Amino acid sequence: MKYDVVIIGGGLAGVTAGIRLQKAGRNCCIISGGLSLNDVPRQEFIALGGAFLTGGRVLGGVWNGDELESLVVSNLEGTGLRADNYILATGKFFSKGLVATMDNIYEPLFGCDVEFEPDRSKWYDPDFFAPQPFERFGVKTQDGRVLRDGVPMKNLYAAGEILAGDIDIVNSALDVCNRII
Amino acid sequence: MQQDNLSKNNFEQCLKCDLCTTVCPMKAVNPDYPGPKQAGPDGERYRIRDPRFYDLTLRFCLNCKRCEVACPSGVEVGDIIQTARIRYGKPAHALRNSFIANTDFVGSMASSCADTVNKLAGKSSVRSILNAFGIDKRRPLPEYASERFSKIFKPESQDGFARFLTFYHGCYVEYNHPSLGIDLIELLNVCGYGVRLLENEKCCGATFINNGLSARAKVNARANAASIRKALEAGSEDVVTTSATCTLTIRNDYEHLLGIETGDIRQHVMLATKWLFGKIDSGEIRLAFKEDWKGHYAYHTSCHMQMLGWQIYSIDLLKMIPGMRLDVLDQECCGIAGTFGYKKENYEYSQKIGEKLFGNIARTGAEVVVADCETCKWQIESGTGVKVLNTIEVLLDALDIQKTRELNR
Repeated sequence: MKYDVVIIGGGLAGVTAGIRLQKAGRNCCIISGGLSLNDVPRQEFIALGGAFLTGGRVLGGVWNGDELESLVVSNLEGTGLRADNYILATGKFFSKGLVATMDNIYEPLFGCDVEFEPDRSKWYDPDFFAPQPFERFGVKTQDGRVLRDGVPMKNLYAAGEILAGDIDIVNSALDVCNRII
Repeated sequence: MQQDNLSKNNFEQCLKCDLCTTVCPMKAVNPDYPGPKQAGPDGERYRIRDPRFYDLTLRFCLNCKRCEVACPSGVEVGDIIQTARIRYGKPAHALRNSFIANTDFVGSMASSCADTVNKLAGKSSVRSILNAFGIDKRRPLPEYASERFSKIFKPESQDGFARFLTFYHGCYVEYNHPSLGIDLIELLNVCGYGVRLLENEKCCGATFINNGLSARAKVNARANAASIRKALEAGSEDVVTTSATCTLTIRNDYEHLLGIETGDIRQHVMLATKWLFGKIDSGEIRLAFKEDWKGHYAYHTSCHMQMLGWQIYSIDLLKMIPGMRLDVLDQECCGIAGTFGYKKENYEYSQKIGEKLFGNIARTGAEVVVADCETCKWQIESGTGVKVLNTIEVLLDALDIQKTRELNR
């Protein structure tokens, strides 16, 4: 099962990228950890011929150096998911794109480098309505590609909420699409 | 912080976000149903303390598992509800439910005199009696075949193949629609595989589970698990099916709901479309299609197919047919949920749930709907008048049999 692009995450970033890539003639698969709430964009993605996959969960990847070869997916034993390029759009904490423990914040699927404040007491601002520092934690990228141990991965991009810093979901999704196209 | 679960089905992981409730087809049409979050993890907190907190409206759960697919925290919401029904539910309509759930008994009786049964099923007097018994008279009854699949199937016709698969046909192929089983066997034979049947196949048990008859479901589950194990030991590569619901029941529910060990066999039980796709993907099987075949079809992902996550296999196989114009329908529940929609008290809800899907189908203008589920077929055909075929039937119809046979010799 080989696609041009597999997008992990069916939220706003994932479906935005999916629509853009399908329109550019790329054959895409979105694997979503839940039923996407973005009904209209999802329906458009499917109408454009994209594959929207639910039910299975991405467990990890098979790597060849800095290149992601395939995704290991629960329920897809045997075949897995293969693509030339991958986009990580799994969101932040609620959707488990990032996982926080007492002293660490990590990206659970591929162990991507995560930018965060090591001192836990600085994760939150006691003023509930102030911007919260943890909202700026996220995966580090270079030219759209995620870093693992400081090295940019060849064909794994990140988009949307999972990114570190100031985020514009739609812009970041379109930006990685342009890099892939 | 909690890393480990103390109870089953990931109950403690529920964050109360209510995403599951937004995708519940029953909640959307029936305000009396509390919705999966309240019926599942919320209610479970109380039921653990005192079973009297069991809420009778849990009978409205369709067991479609959309809540489980939606849950971002991996809570097996549907399984929590089913387990509660098994543990605390008191059977209402006991006679009707055990009749409607016993597909093997009803099927073998009905198919032994299929012509009469099919004729009687259309008579309004008969339907009035069934209506009083609790089976809604507005719901068309499934037609029965005069000859059972396992009687039509000739094991000796499968001699001479080097590789074998076992076919779990299920009640639908056995009693209602044997031609689907025949089609699958022809398709597999053309691809170079012989087909065997299980030594002692029983209904998967989904209807028993949904009707709160878990003890009988367990009997079937044990028999099926043992037969599947035996078939694999005897050299069958895998056990293939044509029904998403039977497959999901064997793969997930036997262990999750009935507590029957299936770890060694579950990965070998799969829809024939998944198996076929895997073989094509690895280059072991090649298909050739008729050049003049043309069709405008729509694919409906059944709820249990969505739970399995295997719709991409069926969709990709259908897209391999050169003359195919395929519209993929947005996933919606058709509303029938197996035996649920046959019951008098559920009929209205069942039709209301289906309306969205029926409208979507009409909008595509497709001549045929494709689905890997038999009860979706009945519901869509009666709701829209559009013919529904299984993926396997469509593939065989479009297949250039001679060419495919040569490719796989």
